[in-house]
Amino acid sequence: MPGPVFGRRERSTTASVVVLDRDRSLVEAARRDPARFDALYRKYLAQVYSYALYELGDHHAAEDATERVFLRALAAMPRFREQARPEDGPEASTFRVWLFRIARNTVSNERRARRRRPATSLEAALGAGLAIADAADLEADAVTRDEAGEALRAMRALPDDRRRALTLRFVEEMSTAEIAGVLGRSEGAVRVLIHRALGAVAKELGRERDARTTDGDPRA
Amino acid sequence: MSDDPEVDALVADRYLDALLAAVDRHADDAPSHAALDPDVREAARVLRASLVRVHPSFRFEERLAGRLAELAATQASPALAAAGRGALIELPGATQAILEADPLVEAILRGELDPTDADAVDRAARARRAAAGVSALVIATASTAAAAATTPGIGGPG
Repeated sequence: MPGPVFGRRERSTTASVVVLDRDRSLVEAARRDPARFDALYRKYLAQVYSYALYELGDHHAAEDATERVFLRALAAMPRFREQARPEDGPEASTFRVWLFRIARNTVSNERRARRRRPATSLEAALGAGLAIADAADLEADAVTRDEAGEALRAMRALPDDRRRALTLRFVEEMSTAEIAGVLGRSEGAVRVLIHRALGAVAKELGRERDARTTDGDPRA
Repeated sequence: MSDDPEVDALVADRYLDALLAAVDRHADDAPSHAALDPDVREAARVLRASLVRVHPSFRFEERLAGRLAELAATQASPALAAAGRGALIELPGATQAILEADPLVEAILRGELDPTDADAVDRAARARRAAAGVSALVIATASTAAAAATTPGIGGPG
């Protein structure tokens, strides 16, 4: 009988390894007992709320949209199917992609319904006493307040798909593969979308810098 | 910069991966490929520092947790488990507040609406808004008619 073999690299018999959803245990627990959905809710609350706030630019509207996203997700849990793909990477969560597809639809509807109402300043909404969820984000000190304001204004002026892609990349720190899953586009298309969005923001930041130079502003 | 937008996009994407990973090392920038446009790199650095994740209020978090617990209790009920797709579901009184917050939840519970389907959600939301508009119009018309009927000299007994 052959003994155990240690240290020998065996060739995989499958073409690819299926990466498990990192939320699999939480999802299975919520399926068995819907009350356990609470753990998924607490884990993703700040992410969904932030996405809604950046999209809607209004604190109350973001809360309403966040509420609908989680109610819909819980109601639809029996329909959730894990579809992990190797290219999603070891940190990918298909539950997160699924949740953000619900968020994208919910927030898009809200944006359409609110189109005729005046938009609040995103800077004002973000500065309205909201706590920063992640201490690492305090790195905002690395840029000036003016630069941050200009970046937010430039971002709000972007077409919907570019703005959404930037929010998912920078605020939610999603991979290109995850964003592709949320927006229903190819990864290549998402990369081009983000690159164009960065180009537009860069142009706007350059314009603001030039304007300050012309005005003799010492910050330029 | 190259002449191929997809190559430029790929170079920028690699830089973003490195930039976002740099947060864990408490660094505010990351090495980039020479082909990356310096303006794009600067815009990415500014956005990385400006786009912070925010948390809603504790009060909101706990209120929504309570609503989700109510909905979870409804889902765990044997009646819902036994009901098939499209079945009429008797929702308990407490759940009415949930349906007021989001009328589409009922269709999702019945298995008639997939919330990840953008077109289906859009159609359902439009139908809801139209129905709400008709209801408001009917109520307004009925109120006007009732007021006219009870106002002397306008149609009521004078």
